[in-house]
Amino acid sequence: MSGPIAQQTSGSNTVQRGGSGGGLADVIDLILEKGLVIDLYARVSLVGIEILTIDVRIVVASVDTYLRFAEAVNRLDIAHDGTSQGLPQFLGDAQESGAKKKTRGALEGAQERLKETFGSGDDDDKDDEKKTPARRRSRKEDDE
Amino acid sequence: MTAQTGAQAGDEQVPQDGQAPQYVYGVTRADASLPDGATGLDGKPVSLIVHGPCAAVVSDLPQGRPLGERADLIAHQGVLTALIGEGTTVLPFRFGAALTGRQAVQDELLATGGERFGEILDALQGRVELRLKGSYVQDTVLREVMAGDPQIAELSARLRSIPEDAADAAYYDRVRLGEMISQALQQRRDAEGQQLLERLAPGAEAVVARVPAREEDVVDASFLVRADAREQFEKSVAELGEAVADRIKLRLVGPLPPYDFIPDN
Repeated sequence: MSGPIAQQTSGSNTVQRGGSGGGLADVIDLILEKGLVIDLYARVSLVGIEILTIDVRIVVASVDTYLRFAEAVNRLDIAHDGTSQGLPQFLGDAQESGAKKKTRGALEGAQERLKETFGSGDDDDKDDEKKTPARRRSRKEDDE
Repeated sequence: MTAQTGAQAGDEQVPQDGQAPQYVYGVTRADASLPDGATGLDGKPVSLIVHGPCAAVVSDLPQGRPLGERADLIAHQGVLTALIGEGTTVLPFRFGAALTGRQAVQDELLATGGERFGEILDALQGRVELRLKGSYVQDTVLREVMAGDPQIAELSARLRSIPEDAADAAYYDRVRLGEMISQALQQRRDAEGQQLLERLAPGAEAVVARVPAREEDVVDASFLVRADAREQFEKSVAELGEAVADRIKLRLVGPLPPYDFIPDN
C-alpha cells in the first residue's frame, strides 16, 4: 500500500496538514498504544511472534529542557527592550554556544536511539526541526 | 486449533495454504470491500475474513523475523488509512495482533468479539478521527513570557551580561531560568490549550485531549468528526489557525482510524 500513512486533505495556508510532512511521527503513539487488543476478547492461540520493544517517547532530562529554554531566551533579539545591544548581545551568542553543545548532545542521543529502532532517521518534530532540514525532506519518500 | 504458543516465528514448518498465521489490522463490517490490490506487511496481500456482522482485515504474518520495523508500522497504518480513504469505517487494532490462522481469526476473534465489534462499528459509522497538534512560535511566546514576568526578565538580563569565561559559574542560574520559563509556558498552555479545544469542540462529536509531548506544545487532541461535518470542521481549524498564526502553529492530521474513540474493554 503506497499511500501516505496520514492522509492529507484540503489545507489552508496557516494550518499544516499531517499527510505531507507529518508521516509516522504524527501517529506512532496511536499505532502502538491505542486500538483494539486481541487478548481482551478472546483467549487466542497467539502465534509466537516477537514484537520489537519500542519506546517512542523521547525523554530528555528536565535539566536539558530547561537549558534549552534558557538558551532560547538568550538567543532572542531583545534589541527592542533597550537594555541590551552590541557587546552584550555578542557575548550572549558566544555563551550560547557552550550551552548548546550540552543540550544538543542530549537531543541527538535520543535521536540516535530512534534511528536504531526505525532503521532510518525518524526525525519527527519532537525536537530539532531546524537542524535536519535535509532529512525531513527525504523522510517523505521513506513514508510512501 | 493446535496450540502454537511459544513457537518462534522462524522455526515452524512451512504453512499450507490458508494455514499461515494471520496478522490482524482491524475489524470492519462484513459488507465492506477492500481497496484493489491492498497490501500490508512485507507487501503481502490483504484480505477479509468474514464472520457474522463483521470482517477482520488480515494478511499473512511475515515469518522468520520479529515485527516492529519502521516499515511494519507504516504498513499497519497504511492498510487502515486506505480503508478510511474509501469511506470505510474500520476499528484499528493496536500494532502487533496476530492469530494462528484464518480459522482462528474466525473462531477466536470474530465469533467471540463480533457482537461487541458490531456495536462499536455502529457507533463510529461514518465518522473519522482528526488529530490537532499545536505548538507555540517559540520566540514570540518567549518574549511574552519575559514581558509578563519581571523575575524571568531580570534573570535573563543578568545572564546575558555574564562573560563567556564565567558562564559555567552561572550554570544553575541558567537551569533556574529555564525552569521558570518552563513553568510559565505550562501555565499558558493549560489555559490556551483549553481555549483552542473549546473553540473546536462544537464541530466534533467527541474530543480526547492528551498532554502534549513537548513543553512548547500547546495542544494535542483528537476529534471524532462526522464525515459530513468534516469540511466545516476543517474550515473552523483553518480559521482558528489564521487567528492564532503569529503565536501558535496548528497542524491537523487525518482522517485517521478512530484510535482514540474505541471504548476501553
